[in-house]
Amino acid sequence: MATLFVMQGRDKGKRYDLRGPDLSLGRDGTNRIQVNDSEVSRRHADLRKDDEGYLLVDLGSSNGSYVNGEKIAEHRLKNGDRVQLGRTLLLFTDAGDPSSGNLHHDVNIVGQSDVEGSRILKSVSHDSGSQIFAREAFEPTAGGDSPWLARARSNLQIMYRTALAVSHTLDIDQLLARIMDLIFEWVEADRGCVMLVDHESGELTPAVSRNRKGVKPVERMAISRTILDYVLAHKEGVLTSDAKDDERWNSEGSIVSLGVREAICVPMQGRYGIVGVVYIDTYTAPGASLPPRSLGSGLSGNTVNKFSEEHLKLMVAIGHQAALAVEDTSYYSAMLQAERLAAIGQTIATLSHHIKNILQGIRGGSYLIEEGLKGDDNDVVRRGWRIVDKNQERIGNLVMDMLTFSKDREPELVPANLCETVSDVVELMKSRAAEAGVQLVWQPPADLPPFSFDADLLHRAILNVVTNAIDACEKREAAQVEVKVEWAAGERLVQIVVADNGEGIAPEDQKRIFSVFESKKGSRGTGLGLPVSQKIMREHGGDIRVESSLGAGSRFFLELPALTAESALRNETQSLP
Amino acid sequence: MPASLLIVDPSAENREVLRTVLARRGWRIFEAEAAERGVELAREHHPDVIVLDLETDTTDAAAIRQQIDADSPDHPAELIMLGKLRRGPQFAGGHVISKPYHFAPLIHTIEQLAAKAA
Repeated sequence: MATLFVMQGRDKGKRYDLRGPDLSLGRDGTNRIQVNDSEVSRRHADLRKDDEGYLLVDLGSSNGSYVNGEKIAEHRLKNGDRVQLGRTLLLFTDAGDPSSGNLHHDVNIVGQSDVEGSRILKSVSHDSGSQIFAREAFEPTAGGDSPWLARARSNLQIMYRTALAVSHTLDIDQLLARIMDLIFEWVEADRGCVMLVDHESGELTPAVSRNRKGVKPVERMAISRTILDYVLAHKEGVLTSDAKDDERWNSEGSIVSLGVREAICVPMQGRYGIVGVVYIDTYTAPGASLPPRSLGSGLSGNTVNKFSEEHLKLMVAIGHQAALAVEDTSYYSAMLQAERLAAIGQTIATLSHHIKNILQGIRGGSYLIEEGLKGDDNDVVRRGWRIVDKNQERIGNLVMDMLTFSKDREPELVPANLCETVSDVVELMKSRAAEAGVQLVWQPPADLPPFSFDADLLHRAILNVVTNAIDACEKREAAQVEVKVEWAAGERLVQIVVADNGEGIAPEDQKRIFSVFESKKGSRGTGLGLPVSQKIMREHGGDIRVESSLGAGSRFFLELPALTAESALRNETQSLP
Repeated sequence: MPASLLIVDPSAENREVLRTVLARRGWRIFEAEAAERGVELAREHHPDVIVLDLETDTTDAAAIRQQIDADSPDHPAELIMLGKLRRGPQFAGGHVISKPYHFAPLIHTIEQLAAKAA
């Protein structure tokens, strides 16, 4: 579909879709395209369609028809031609017939070899795209800097940069501040602010405000409620001035005798509604001489105003862009919020389930104790006590895991005996292993130097892995869990290896076992053990790894940076200036 | 013939509590960790009462009820289910006790059901 777009003139912004064989252009209402321009003749030109496209034919107009700056009598229009009739500039575009049918047949993505001739001539990065609006790119054509071109360039540039800012930033405050900066670079505003509609109260709340450099923020910015209400109610931008048309400046229009405050206020119109407003204003002090200006001329013939209708239109577009960004971010944070709530819900559900099981155990144990006491049966009391004891241990572990998981704490690196820490864990787990019919093997290495680590945290990290190892091979033939510490002098890492000959972990599960609440142990697992071990090892600057094959068992490697007292000392001296 | 109880519960502790108390009162006790083994034991021993834990993923109470009834047409067992029944068609084939439960009332219920059956 071919179109004519009015780029300049009273009809600016209008677009005419060209339909039918012949279209007439002129000032008269009988024309298919009526041009509101006193310098256009009543019947100015014809557009005649033939097989090759459109032909522009001047109908002997008094001021002539121009295409791309040249006077023509007849001209075949090409895509991108600029047609000037009187003061009205129109852009002709003809995208040609959109190819119909199945696009798959027409478009192939091919490898290099298929289009050998084709190569990249020039690539433009996302950021440098805005350079197309830079001054140099326009210079050669006009031979001078026409005010219209300068303005168009500046307008395009701010839209481009706004769009760029919107696509780059997710932090809404930062983005709004950036947009404010862009507006201030583009127009001579003294003050500006962005106000967002508060989700809950529905009130406008200032999000960003700015003063031009050198302008003292003498007063709190007072913004007329009438203007805001108008903008919100009518969903349209307004340009206001408290200047009386002819009294505040003299006839030459160069000296302002009284102060003039002008303001532009536009709605931030998003897809779903108005999310806020953008407001800028400027104040011209009494007696100030107006700077020579290129902006704002030619629209109302009023050369005094700093803000023009063009500024207003562009501000509306900027407001729209900003609104889309605000909507995106609030959608994003709503999603984040929902995810967080879901995660909290899952956490509570998992923990409640686990605590419920512990509570069930304690109830069972204490019931047995009660029964045993009633019947004076010490054996029953002992059974009950063992169950209670085991469950208070479980709840203790759960609480410690929860604390370790929730806190970001720097490990207290103190030189300590790693063998002692491992021995403590083995000692603690001995009875549990015996009960599960698992042989727990621990052979401390002979001469291990003291390393720096947080003994309490490491104890927990090892405990969780050993507990899992015992659970994994419980009730299996010749079940065995072997704990080792491996280190050779000079090595960077010391490894605590926990190996079991249990059921093993499927490859697809090996990645998930370190994620929180991914327990594969059914009601016995909290889903916290391995994540906590991983967290502790990582806080130490180490890590945890697993090697496992189904049916053969698993080996967990807890890697700890081997900070000997000696190397710690060396590091300290190195860091001295 | 003493009353018999089948416990189907993955928790060794829960089984131990029921076993310890009821064995002292002269019950015959059968234990299973999972439903599959439980159905086998039911087929073999025709227990008077079955306690079934519902909070294992594989437990389908209705199917188990059906299976057990088919296996013992002359001797329908009383079924006590621990936990929550899944959503779906109402299942009225037994008693449901929600978790966490107290053992005294559970054992009381078990004894009452056995007395009723006898």
